[in-house]
Amino acid sequence: MGLVAGKKLFSIMALGAMIGLLLLPIAVSLPSLAIGADAPDAVKKEGEAKVEKGRDVYYKTEGIVVGAPAPKTTDGPRDYPRYNFESRVLLWFANQQHLYYGSFVLAVPIFCMVIEFMGVVTKDKAMAKRYDQLAYDFIKISLTAYSLTAILGGILIFTFLTLYPAFFGYLSSIFRPVMHIYALMFVAESGTLYIYYYGWDKMKEGFLKWIHLSMSVILNVIGTLLMFLANSWIGFMMSPAGVDEQGRYLGNIWHVIHTALWNPLNVHRILGNMAFGGGVVAAYAAYKFLASKTDEDRAHYDWMGYIAMALGVAFLIPLPFAGYWLMREVYAYRQQMGITLMGGLLAWLFIIQATMIGILFLSTNYYLWQALGRMRGAEKYQRYIKYLVFLLVCGFLVFITPHTIVMTPAELKAMGGQQHPVLGNYGVMSAKNGGINVIITTTVLSFVWYMRGNKVSTVSWSKFGNIFMGVFFGCAYLNIIWLAIYGYYIPANVRVGLSVPQVATTLSCLFFMFALNGVMMKGAKQMGPIEWGKISARSQYALIMLATAFTWMMGLMGYIRSSVRLFWHVNEIMRDNSPWAYTHTVGFAANMISFNVLFFWVSILFVFWLGSLGIKKAPVEAKAGVPGGAPQPAGGH
Amino acid sequence: MGQTIVYVLVSLVICIAYFTAVDHFLMDSQGLDYWYLFRK
Repeated sequence: MGLVAGKKLFSIMALGAMIGLLLLPIAVSLPSLAIGADAPDAVKKEGEAKVEKGRDVYYKTEGIVVGAPAPKTTDGPRDYPRYNFESRVLLWFANQQHLYYGSFVLAVPIFCMVIEFMGVVTKDKAMAKRYDQLAYDFIKISLTAYSLTAILGGILIFTFLTLYPAFFGYLSSIFRPVMHIYALMFVAESGTLYIYYYGWDKMKEGFLKWIHLSMSVILNVIGTLLMFLANSWIGFMMSPAGVDEQGRYLGNIWHVIHTALWNPLNVHRILGNMAFGGGVVAAYAAYKFLASKTDEDRAHYDWMGYIAMALGVAFLIPLPFAGYWLMREVYAYRQQMGITLMGGLLAWLFIIQATMIGILFLSTNYYLWQALGRMRGAEKYQRYIKYLVFLLVCGFLVFITPHTIVMTPAELKAMGGQQHPVLGNYGVMSAKNGGINVIITTTVLSFVWYMRGNKVSTVSWSKFGNIFMGVFFGCAYLNIIWLAIYGYYIPANVRVGLSVPQVATTLSCLFFMFALNGVMMKGAKQMGPIEWGKISARSQYALIMLATAFTWMMGLMGYIRSSVRLFWHVNEIMRDNSPWAYTHTVGFAANMISFNVLFFWVSILFVFWLGSLGIKKAPVEAKAGVPGGAPQPAGGH
Repeated sequence: MGQTIVYVLVSLVICIAYFTAVDHFLMDSQGLDYWYLFRK
């Protein structure tokens, strides 16, 4: 009894300590923020005549200048010291690797929180243990990756300091009021993560489990805030605010953080990190599945791969919409920046991006169709898969069609212009919006089929429900295609708004049809259990493909976002005068991205291997599930 | 068979009404006219 009370006390103290750590940065920052606020007064006291005011370049408010102007750099060892190598490429590498690992370690604890919560609320004890084991497996991988993230962060800072001291000095001076908050939050994140991980075994039951779960919430709050702060730096570089036209800080740190692109970047990055994290964990599970020697292990890793893939795809589906929002805000901030991205220098990279997005959805659908094979009763859907393939391929082909093609003069003459007479029509946003929405709606449909694969609804209105669902999907497809065609006949300023009802149509399918399916399948008759582990090896390669495509696309989008600044360190404020202030060719960028992807996967394989060394120390000694006969994960899937 | 046709018709009416409402109101909320072409 005394031991239990002691444990409870310890847990509450640990939780209290973590909350304290969480609040510490804010408490510590208050005086410094106050200093920031007082600074203008200090300037005033020194001499009323010396007070200089500046106008915020974005908010257009007046503020007292408290910072130095952005340095005017020159190409030389003072501002751009270098090795015998392109500094930008070195920085690109360090940045990208840090981002990959950072995204992974921010995403995985969110998965852990969700899965651990599912384990806590599940009434089935065996199932609860399986969820708990899965969450533990996830955090174990994340912990090893966490150390690498910190190391890469250090390398990144040293790279900045060594190769871009003037720029880094300026950025640090602007963000000085919150720099220490970032550092302290990193300490809080590390502390929470280690207590969360090492406390797993001690806090696995009852009230202590809830405390443990609360820790994961705190961990994720800290992680998310950390990411928001890091996003504010790139937001500032793209769309600066809180400074005047010379780049002088005007004393309002909130303006510096809350730039025009900060919120869309935050949303886009959270979703992207989650999709990426899901992809990496799914690839890990696929690798373990393929290397498994026993049916039991295959069943476990098959299930793990499915859960990770489902979580990743859940965030992949809204990701294109968050991307649209980000682009919309880019256009609203600087139309020229949007044109550079979508219609100019970087437009071809968007064609590659569209191809990658298509591959992501094709891989997801392929995996789901393969997964139908492990369910008895799902055969009825097999003959319809070819229609889904047709829809996906049509959507994909439209989505990747370029507006114009790079051609020789002879080819140009033969085609009669820059646009192909037929295919050129598909190279516009109206058609592309239709294409991607068809792809996403088809993915939703594949998921619905998968969720009802081995079940037969027993509700009295099941016939109407099935017909309604079919008609709803049919009408959704028609509405998406209709809006895409309608866009050709109306002016651009009206057309641009059609993307909103198109997205709403897709999301309606996602939310309403998932809900309807859930209600219909409540208490449904099972044709047979899901035979975890009885899935083709091809499906696991699809998961690996999914993860690789995520990684490649992340590298690509990061490059596009960064390149759009062109020859500016900080857009329109601080010019990049290094010899590398030009945009690379598409080929060079693609090679560099591929190298980053390859390096990440080789290094994460090492992380996986390290994680596997401690596998015998898992807190749940015996795996609770057996293939096929095990209680099925929530909702049967 | 008759019941199936009724179910299909009822579903069609609901879905067409729903998606038309989605198109109309979401364009309207952006200050745009969904029926632009038909009013011309």
